[in-house]
Amino acid sequence: MKLIARYNRVNLLTTIVVMLITGIVYYQVISLILIKQLEKNLQVEEDEIYEYVDLNHHLPQVFKSNDQQITFTEAKPGSVERHFINTVYHNFDNPKYAKRHPHRDDDEYETGRGLITSVTVGAKYYKVLIVVSTVEAEDLIQIIFGITAGVILLLFVTLYVTNRLLLNRLWQPFYDLLKELRLFDITDSKDIPLEKTRIDEFEELNQAIIGMSTRVKGDYKELKTFTENASHELLTPIAVINSKMDTLIQTDTFTHKQSKLLSDLYGAISKLTRLNQSLLLLVKIENRLLERNEHIDLKQHIEELLIQFEEIFLDKELMVSSDLVEKEVVASTYLIDILLNNLLGNAIRHNHAGGEIRVKLTSEALIVQNTGATEALQHDQIFTRFHKSTESEGSGLGLTISRQICENLNFTLNYSYQSSFHTFTVNF
Amino acid sequence: MKILIIEDEKGLRESIEEYFSEAGNICETASNYQEAMGKVSIYSYDCILLDITLPGGSGIEILKYLKKNNNTDGVLIISAKNSLDDRLEGLDLGADDYLVKPFHLSELRARVTAIIRRKTFNGSNQLVFNEINIDLLAKTAKVNDQSVKLTRKEYALLLYFIANKGKVVSKNAIAEHLWGDGMDLANNFDFIYSHIKNLRKKLMEAGSNDYIQAAYGMGYKFTS
Repeated sequence: MKLIARYNRVNLLTTIVVMLITGIVYYQVISLILIKQLEKNLQVEEDEIYEYVDLNHHLPQVFKSNDQQITFTEAKPGSVERHFINTVYHNFDNPKYAKRHPHRDDDEYETGRGLITSVTVGAKYYKVLIVVSTVEAEDLIQIIFGITAGVILLLFVTLYVTNRLLLNRLWQPFYDLLKELRLFDITDSKDIPLEKTRIDEFEELNQAIIGMSTRVKGDYKELKTFTENASHELLTPIAVINSKMDTLIQTDTFTHKQSKLLSDLYGAISKLTRLNQSLLLLVKIENRLLERNEHIDLKQHIEELLIQFEEIFLDKELMVSSDLVEKEVVASTYLIDILLNNLLGNAIRHNHAGGEIRVKLTSEALIVQNTGATEALQHDQIFTRFHKSTESEGSGLGLTISRQICENLNFTLNYSYQSSFHTFTVNF
Repeated sequence: MKILIIEDEKGLRESIEEYFSEAGNICETASNYQEAMGKVSIYSYDCILLDITLPGGSGIEILKYLKKNNNTDGVLIISAKNSLDDRLEGLDLGADDYLVKPFHLSELRARVTAIIRRKTFNGSNQLVFNEINIDLLAKTAKVNDQSVKLTRKEYALLLYFIANKGKVVSKNAIAEHLWGDGMDLANNFDFIYSHIKNLRKKLMEAGSNDYIQAAYGMGYKFTS
């Protein structure tokens, strides 16, 4: 969930709750005040009746009015307790009223507030019921409530829109930073730029990210330099061992046992040499030191390579079929040769005697397929450094180098296992 | 042939010197920039083996000096730097070949022999070894004037053996020479065996002596 959505949700929910509560309280208070006002009017009316009775010693004449009704009924002395009631009463035909409430039936009863009290005229005891209409008050409340609700709604919408706009704008530096982080490439020389923002938090975040990326890049560069230096330093001693071995085998005759030992040594040295060269190569490819733009006839290169490996195909009894179209790529010949060599070399090395190799070149892709192990390789691991099958004699860097070359050339290298064929696809 | 080995690593220098020292060869060595400059400015050589990184200066400077003085010595750069730029710079400056460390002495020998052959047999493209006659331009071989049909690999193998005659050449060196070091074939030398067997058979059928001998199961020797 986006921060904005989350924030808006919480914000709006609390706003709604607070506004609802406020609305209810507001309504109650206004009702209360208006009722109190009505009751005051009722009391004034009551006082007027008392005054009239005191002065004239008989009940006042009752005028029928649309807003107010007074009734006197004889009652047993002392039986009436003074109190206010909510009641309904029958309204009279009133043009003014009907005009205001045209939908209402004139014969309807209306709500009203009543006061039950008592008055004694001479020896007679009367129960007095004074009723005033609350319709006016209710109308008032409705108007007030409507206006309030309108204001609340307006506030609500304004709040939502401004929040949205403001937050989007406020968070913009954050999204910019996020984009930069997504684009961050440890091998790239491009740094994360300092975004202009007046928000301290984002400024700090930006600084922290820049600091981190610089540190990480520094460390990575150091590591690469170390690999490169270490490999370089190893070259000379390996060269010495190699030359000493070459010299050693010239010296004398050797027993079968000795020559077996020497053969094993040779094998180990060439493995070491290849490993070292692969590491150096990998560093160079990553450092983009081998970039060169040459127009390469891929078809021709593949055909030459197939001729180069001809004896090995024969020796391993491999069936090789190729389906090539003319395709030109712009890249370094050196890298393309390494890539082709690695892919085809793997197809040979991991094949079984009497197996099959298929090479297909289209204008979109190069596909190298080979038979071999009867189950798929682990997709996620085969491209990592030094990952190799237990029986592999390779350096474990071939596919890493191949993928790196493809990445540098903006190609993609993928593996799949299709009907007993291990398939490596280079998409141009 | 007269060779100057400019290499600061003592072990490597001595091995190369020993490998090239035989009747008719003169090997001189230099272990640093000053010594090397001293020698190249006075003497002339058939081939100079030049290490790029030297104490006291760069091998590239020596190469530049040689070319400035129109020195016709063959130059083979031996370097630990396997970068394309270094290689191209070396070759652009007039080096004849570029070999990356580590290498087999037999490979070095084959390269040096090729350079000297190009330098000395101006115009002539014939390489003669006893009854074997190789046309370097047409890439064909004859034994006692009888043409021998060799495949590309067999031809390369023959040249390699002749350059390293009298030396034991390891199977690893042969494999790397024929297929490059990119191919990982350490435990599978059968096809080398079949190439050598075929070459030997073709030469002997054409009336050549049996020069190629297996050496203790780890390599071959071309006896002279």
